[in-house]
Amino acid sequence: MTATATAQAAPAALEVHDVHKWYGTHRVLDGIDLTVRPGEVTVVIGPSGSGKSTLLRVVNHLEKPDIGHVSVGGELIGVRRVGGRLKELGERAILAQRGRIGFVFQNFNLFPHLTVLDNVAAAPVATGRLGRPEARELARELLTRVGLGDRTGAYPRTLSGGQQQRVAIARALALRPGIILFDEPTSALDPELVGEVLSVIKDLATSGTTLLIVTHEIGFAREVADRIVFIDGGRIAEQGPPAEVLDHPRHERTRDFLARVL
Amino acid sequence: MPSHPFRRSLTRALAAATVVASLAGTLAACGGDSEAATTTDAAGTVTVGRVSNGAAKPVELKVPEVKALNAELPAAVRRSGTLKIVVGALPDGFPPLAYIGGDQKTLTGAEPDLGRLVAAVLGLKPELSNATWENMFVGIDSGKADVGFANITDTEERKRKYDFASYRKDNVGFEVLKKSTWNFDGDYENLAGKTVAVDNGTNQERILLEWQRKLKAQGKTLTVKHYAGKSATYLALTGGRIDAYFAANPGVAYHVTRTATSPAPTRSAGTYSGAGASLQGLIAATTKKNSGLAKPIADAVNHLIKSGQYAKWLAAYNLSDEAVATSRVNPPGLPLSDS
Amino acid sequence: MSRPLGAAVSLAETPPAQSPPTPLTAQRVQPLRRPGRWIATAVVLVLVAQIAHSLATNPFYQWGRFRYWFLRPTVLDGLLVTLEVAALSAALGLLGGVLLALARQSGSPVLRAVGWTYTWLFRSVPLIVVLIFLYNFSALYKTVSLGIPFGPAFVTFDESRLATDMTVAVIGLSLNEAAYAAEVVRGGLLSVDQGQHEAAAALGLPKGYQFTRIVLPQALRSIVPNYVNQLIGLVKSTSLVFYVSLLDLFGSVQTMGSTYPGDIVPLLLVATVWYLILTSAVSVVQYYVERYFARGATRALPPTPLQKARAGLSGFRARLRKEAAV
Repeated sequence: MTATATAQAAPAALEVHDVHKWYGTHRVLDGIDLTVRPGEVTVVIGPSGSGKSTLLRVVNHLEKPDIGHVSVGGELIGVRRVGGRLKELGERAILAQRGRIGFVFQNFNLFPHLTVLDNVAAAPVATGRLGRPEARELARELLTRVGLGDRTGAYPRTLSGGQQQRVAIARALALRPGIILFDEPTSALDPELVGEVLSVIKDLATSGTTLLIVTHEIGFAREVADRIVFIDGGRIAEQGPPAEVLDHPRHERTRDFLARVL
Repeated sequence: MPSHPFRRSLTRALAAATVVASLAGTLAACGGDSEAATTTDAAGTVTVGRVSNGAAKPVELKVPEVKALNAELPAAVRRSGTLKIVVGALPDGFPPLAYIGGDQKTLTGAEPDLGRLVAAVLGLKPELSNATWENMFVGIDSGKADVGFANITDTEERKRKYDFASYRKDNVGFEVLKKSTWNFDGDYENLAGKTVAVDNGTNQERILLEWQRKLKAQGKTLTVKHYAGKSATYLALTGGRIDAYFAANPGVAYHVTRTATSPAPTRSAGTYSGAGASLQGLIAATTKKNSGLAKPIADAVNHLIKSGQYAKWLAAYNLSDEAVATSRVNPPGLPLSDS
Repeated sequence: MSRPLGAAVSLAETPPAQSPPTPLTAQRVQPLRRPGRWIATAVVLVLVAQIAHSLATNPFYQWGRFRYWFLRPTVLDGLLVTLEVAALSAALGLLGGVLLALARQSGSPVLRAVGWTYTWLFRSVPLIVVLIFLYNFSALYKTVSLGIPFGPAFVTFDESRLATDMTVAVIGLSLNEAAYAAEVVRGGLLSVDQGQHEAAAALGLPKGYQFTRIVLPQALRSIVPNYVNQLIGLVKSTSLVFYVSLLDLFGSVQTMGSTYPGDIVPLLLVATVWYLILTSAVSVVQYYVERYFARGATRALPPTPLQKARAGLSGFRARLRKEAAV
């Protein structure tokens, strides 16, 4: 899936512009620029502590960038433009924006007191996008799509990790987001459960959903990614198609990293 | 506490339901209230000793208003037409002086009854309220109440904040178990080696502590105990943890008669003046200093003494021994130094 | 069920075999005999019987008078006051506690400071003092008015008419209760995993929905047992309302104790039994409320007593059948 003339005419699915982020004096992101085209699958790899997760969290404004800005589908996230300046948005507006960005956590973070069905149906109902019956219908549909159509009445803690992560993916899909962010979706899983989650993500990738995935699964990255982004020390060290970055890395840090994880 | 008919029936239904559910009917049903006494008098009539639970022989007195005394009242009180009387009998009443009566809801006793008599003489409508001992004084300070009738002893210390109109002698006494052989005999030295309970903040407490100091000087001990309430004190007496309870004498007399048929009967073991050895203690109506109420109240009591109704009031409660000849405004009380 | 049990018998527990050991057949394991436990049980039973006997026969308790007093209108009125004051202050106190807990987690340092100070103050000041101050409040402030702060008043209330004894008692207890409830609620909110807040935020759930539907239901799991504890304490601290000239269950019993000094013990027993009934009722409610909020938190919900009894009975039957079969 390569960029075409039509895709370039539409606004980028995601644009990260010169984002800097500090935790105290520690610099986590150091001038990240990244553009994701609609339908593109981008996989972010890099050593731990390199800022991958922070980058994802900046995209849906769970973290505020100290410098720089992010836009999704051409819309600035968490800020608005007043003349030449950026001003912070109100909480309500930010929450509305997040409703258009899917986010899948490493630890699933399902709501334990709600059934699987209610976990998926909650956001469309709470944000007023769907009525309760429609939301439940959609939830049932999505759960069937991730292979859990028979577990709609179960509580999350009665499910395996792999099943929980698939529910979390269905929950993110229920927002009908323009882009879905995955924060190490398989890191908390037992090895034998990784496959079922990856295959669901693979299905999404082939169906043309825009995905931004942080992962350590290099083999998986090679298979689904249109583009690999290697981050080190809060900067993008190199990026390109998998065949380029994974097989012929130009950067020494990339070579070192791949040698360690492969 | 006003008792709304709806609330009352709700209470019963609720409680009955709970009991049925929890005790599965192990309790025998109890009969209705037999003492269906009326609780208010017509204007100008005061029934002394109504619903007194056996503490008094009820007597109905006709008390017309005395216009001259009404004219003595401070303008604000006269205009309001009511006398707000506070009694410090919460949560423990002290029969026969001030307590909840035999109908188990009316504030009664010698003190509120005198308050009613005085109000009638002054041509005022009595409005009684019950409070804790501390709140009674705060209530008089704040104007929530006009006067306290609650076995309050006239002391020089209290006189700094209040004006008094005396109306009764203050005697205190010892209560012991009937099987005890100890007697006070008017001599504090008999208390050596004994354990005696007394109520906090009362003048009998000051008297007892004074004796304790004197005995200590002689190398003898007197142990003084305080309990959280009357119930706790009487339980301590029954259980033998204390030898005697030193309290207002009318209360002792009442308690002795009421426990006669209980598993642990008691008796009186001697009395003493509530103002110490040198002075007869006096009980007084208590008003806010300079409120101008003490004088009309004293005059009203003197009117009752002259009319003979004062004597009938005391006789009804079996308190004739504690009669005074006249009511006085701010008579000398328990001195400051005698403590 | 019996077969896998028999198969699980470890060889180490079989007696040392002199000859080639005979192969074990599938069988139930004989449970260990525990004579010590039986003796202890017998001793406790005898003690319990002795206590029950002395309770029933000792004239000290005057059970006849107990029966007389148990359903007296004065006692029931007191009980109703206890229930009213406790229920109203528990509800208002919890509401205040939630607001205070939110204030303490607020982004505004002023709100945080106010929340902290309130909790500190009302946990320090004795309830009695709060009640006495409130009761005599009308002496200090004759009217309460609604309007612009330091500006004109729109509505003015006559304080002494507004503040009935019941109002004063409920306000006093609620003020006190809110301080403790705030800590209970705050603890519950802190016990909710940070990931839950993030997930709710990432889904774009509105702020109110996040709190009422996601965070609070999970927090209630730890709030309920702590708050019920608090509540039972509250039911008994209503006995202090005599400070505002209101007689609750214990107050009526105490007052009647001075009018009927011979009945002090049975009166105290009446109050005790009523408190036992109230506490039991609260405990039963607590069990089911806790069970409700445990949804999803554990793999399976704890059984209700009825379910437990049924399961116990059918288990017992199964065992009988099995033993009959062996």
